[in-house]
Amino acid sequence: MNPAVPEIPGDSPLKAAQAPAEQAAVTPAVAPWPNPLAHLQIPFRAVDYEVKGYHLEVTVAPGEVVAVATQLDKEGLALDTITGVDWMAEGQMEVVYDYFHLAKPLRVVVRTRIPRDKPEIDTISGVFPGANWHERETHDFFGIKFLGHPDLTPFLLPEDATYHPLRKDFVA
Amino acid sequence: MEAPEDNSQLLKDCSPYVKFAKLDELLALGRANSLWPLTFGLACCAIEMMAAGASRFDLARFGAEVFRPSPRQADVMIVAGTVNKKMAAAIKTLYDQMPEPKWVIAMGNCAISGGPFVFPGQYAVIEGVDKLFPVDVFIPGCPPRPEALIEGLLKLEEKLTGKRRWPVVKPE
Amino acid sequence: MTEKADFLTGDVAAGQPPRETFVLNLGPQHPATHGVLRVKMTMDGEYIVRAEPVCGYIHRMQEKMGENRTYAQFLPNTSRIDYLSAMTYTHAFVGAVERAAKIPVPPRAEYIRVITSELNRISSHLVWWGAFLLDLGGFTPLLYAFDDREKILDLLEAITGARLTYCYYRFGGLCNDVDDSFIKGTREFVAHMRPRLKMYRGLVTENIIFRKRLEGIGPISQEMCRKYGATGPVIRGSGVSYDVRRVEPYSAYPEFDFEIPTFPGGDSMARYLVRMEEMVQSLRIIEQALDKLPAGPVMADKVPRVLKLPAGDYCYAVEAARGRFAVRIVSDNKEIPYRVKLRTPSLSNLSLFEEASKGMLLPDALALMGSLDLVIPDIDR
Repeated sequence: MNPAVPEIPGDSPLKAAQAPAEQAAVTPAVAPWPNPLAHLQIPFRAVDYEVKGYHLEVTVAPGEVVAVATQLDKEGLALDTITGVDWMAEGQMEVVYDYFHLAKPLRVVVRTRIPRDKPEIDTISGVFPGANWHERETHDFFGIKFLGHPDLTPFLLPEDATYHPLRKDFVA
Repeated sequence: MEAPEDNSQLLKDCSPYVKFAKLDELLALGRANSLWPLTFGLACCAIEMMAAGASRFDLARFGAEVFRPSPRQADVMIVAGTVNKKMAAAIKTLYDQMPEPKWVIAMGNCAISGGPFVFPGQYAVIEGVDKLFPVDVFIPGCPPRPEALIEGLLKLEEKLTGKRRWPVVKPE
Repeated sequence: MTEKADFLTGDVAAGQPPRETFVLNLGPQHPATHGVLRVKMTMDGEYIVRAEPVCGYIHRMQEKMGENRTYAQFLPNTSRIDYLSAMTYTHAFVGAVERAAKIPVPPRAEYIRVITSELNRISSHLVWWGAFLLDLGGFTPLLYAFDDREKILDLLEAITGARLTYCYYRFGGLCNDVDDSFIKGTREFVAHMRPRLKMYRGLVTENIIFRKRLEGIGPISQEMCRKYGATGPVIRGSGVSYDVRRVEPYSAYPEFDFEIPTFPGGDSMARYLVRMEEMVQSLRIIEQALDKLPAGPVMADKVPRVLKLPAGDYCYAVEAARGRFAVRIVSDNKEIPYRVKLRTPSLSNLSLFEEASKGMLLPDALALMGSLDLVIPDIDR
């Protein structure tokens, strides 16, 4: 709380009240090599940012997503989004986790594949509370069940919705 | 005292001072000149509705600037945006809560027909609010310009009073 | 005060479990939610025990439509996700396709993209400014904001043909070049806007009632921003200098000299000040871009009429007015994308509301919600 609002002097009164923070040193936009996450024991693949739009990607087993999220959380990355892709021909669902770094140009994509007839995966909302809504949305669209999620009720669809519209075999 | 056999002379004498009309017409004139819209923005069109109420377009010139947050105080509902199935129940309740007489303006393509969000196999959008309740004026556009909304309100006035208050501007 | 009335003073704010609560439903039709957001609030008197946003009242199947249309057909949809900063949203989609199909964009087109995106950012912030103050109980600023905004809309309408939902960028450039009257008009606008922003400061920012209403209200820590993935003015108002234009530079942004306004307070006032300062920086960028505007074509040669992206996935992120907007296109080498994912800033920014609003007074929570600058179709898509 700010009990005493300062007097308003001259030209730039807010400088006194709230001086802008020091501009954080931002690394120029080169590929972040050597790989800043090399010490993590996660087998990242380097990706050409100019073509793909992200720097590192890794495909992990479905059971490892929480461990990976915990490690990336410790490195100071933020969760960008979670989404699914329905690979119907292959009988699989892909779950894609996007992370970004707050100071370095570093985007990390974590992928995993789960069987389409039993789409279940652990939730990472215990690590990143922001994952809660992304996982609910992914459950809405693809029917992917996030085990341990606090509330998997429909998020964007009506409360009584039982359909999953972004599945490739969905018929309205 | 004997009553006058014919009061036509009396009516003639007081005609400069007293006007006679049907009460309905008087009420219609009053209603048409002070339409109170419901503050009800859904999507993009709502921004143009705000622009119509703000400085340049100034809806107050036509007596329709008193946007009411409560449906109980409003007499025209401007449906400005897409209505989806989750929203349909709420919007129908709002319509039912408005006191009679009430009118509805469907602003923009989404409210008219679902607009750009209609495709084979769509699962969410109501294809036109006239499927929910009767609509008096349709304003096409994506989004319609504020001038179009004003023209829509003038059309509604015309519907109420039977005559147009303002000249029609014809494009050159 | 009697024992009975004690619950009105807020057990929750004092760290005690509430003795008596009730549920307050805000929205989906409520003027303070700026659209059709609904918040289910469990209240302890005037204090919030739990505020749970309920979304989906304007879900418009944007991602499903992405799988049903060709790239060019889907382009106008992107400007209707966040209609207030349509330019930056189309920029992200166009950028992702250009990146995947390796379409070079002429420098003049990139410069004009920057100019129009920044004009759009100012117009978006002006709408936020007017609407935010409307939430706080001041009607007059809205009229000032829309007055200035109309000047931007006139400029953009002359070149794009639309007032709000622009579809000006094309894969490989722009649909048409700007003319001298646009350049002259934009210079006039920059000259006009600078003193206006000073006037806004005198009119509103220094107002003691206004400042008391915002300072210390709705604190959001850096850690909370990171955990929820909040970006844009929300994270910059918490003292983190994160801006996609700087961290992952795109288009012609590396060629301009501008600052990322950052305020450490984390309260609603800090977020307010970030946006006000951002408008100044946008004017700076526009001025530099006009000075350095290169000549040449605005459209790449030989852009294929039918676009087929090589199989794989492609991302492109931009700094929209509300924060980081990212597009992910998954292609299987067909004319129609296999999957389009739209990562919108408002969703992440709102997701921290439940945690941030705990124990707040209801009117303060509305000030917090206004300072997040939500666009509801941007959340629901």
